[in-house]
Amino acid sequence: MSLLRSMLQHIWEYDSLANIGEIARRYFAMNAFDGVLTIIGVLMGNLTAGVNNPKIVVSTGLATSVAMGVSGLWGAYLTEAAERKRGLVELSSHTLTDLNDTRIGRASRVAAVIVALVDGLSPFLAAMLVLTPFFAVGIFPTITWVYYTSLGMALLTLFALGLFLGHISHGNLILYGAKTIIAGVVSIIISLLIGE
Amino acid sequence: MGKTRRLVLDTLKPHEPTIIEWADQLSELSGITAVNISIYEMDRKVENAKITIEGEDISYSIVEEIINQMGGAIHSIDEVVAGKEIIDDAATLQD
Repeated sequence: MSLLRSMLQHIWEYDSLANIGEIARRYFAMNAFDGVLTIIGVLMGNLTAGVNNPKIVVSTGLATSVAMGVSGLWGAYLTEAAERKRGLVELSSHTLTDLNDTRIGRASRVAAVIVALVDGLSPFLAAMLVLTPFFAVGIFPTITWVYYTSLGMALLTLFALGLFLGHISHGNLILYGAKTIIAGVVSIIISLLIGE
Repeated sequence: MGKTRRLVLDTLKPHEPTIIEWADQLSELSGITAVNISIYEMDRKVENAKITIEGEDISYSIVEEIINQMGGAIHSIDEVVAGKEIIDDAATLQD
């Protein structure tokens, strides 16, 4: 317990040094949004193609979610680590000291890891949330109901993301929610037209 | 061995951690009773800080290590007082 408290204290300290919170919030919202819209694409593709087997939808959805997660994790880690290293080298040139073994250096490395985890997990978890009706197919009368429930969950997730963005920007929550839902609706409509 | 009772250091530090955190960290060291930090110059990335430390038995090596850990660098040791009490420098005709 004291180890956990110590870890949390370190992360809190590193947040003030490396501004982790702000970047992590940004990546969370952006990538969860990407995750939901990508899965809407997968669902609509399967729906318009007439896929009735939920296993196919689950396996394509899972594979897509995992790919998004790996892409987010890897890409964000490499990018963030490179940017942080660049910043550290620049600061070192100003202070004329090697900052690698200082709190600032450690904060930079921890920031890259945390941001990568957020970037990788947020689209994966958002996509999995949307796919959950397909794991409980038995409670629905037909496969079409499962699709509609999943799409409904996707729009709800987008709305929740909008509320989150509205909250952090101290803006109108409903307005932000509406803005994010519109993206989902547009994606569904275009997919339907393509399917037609 | 004599005990260091006052240290005045000229340091260069990044903006983060702030001098509040620096003062907190240094004042918690054993043998230190008070810390005074003031900024006398600042630019975009770094700032110059004058650190005055007083105590019963100040360990310079530990102070230096803490300052390095916080990302700072000691430019110079501007004043040291050691012994049984703190005294100021004596005035001379040259002053």
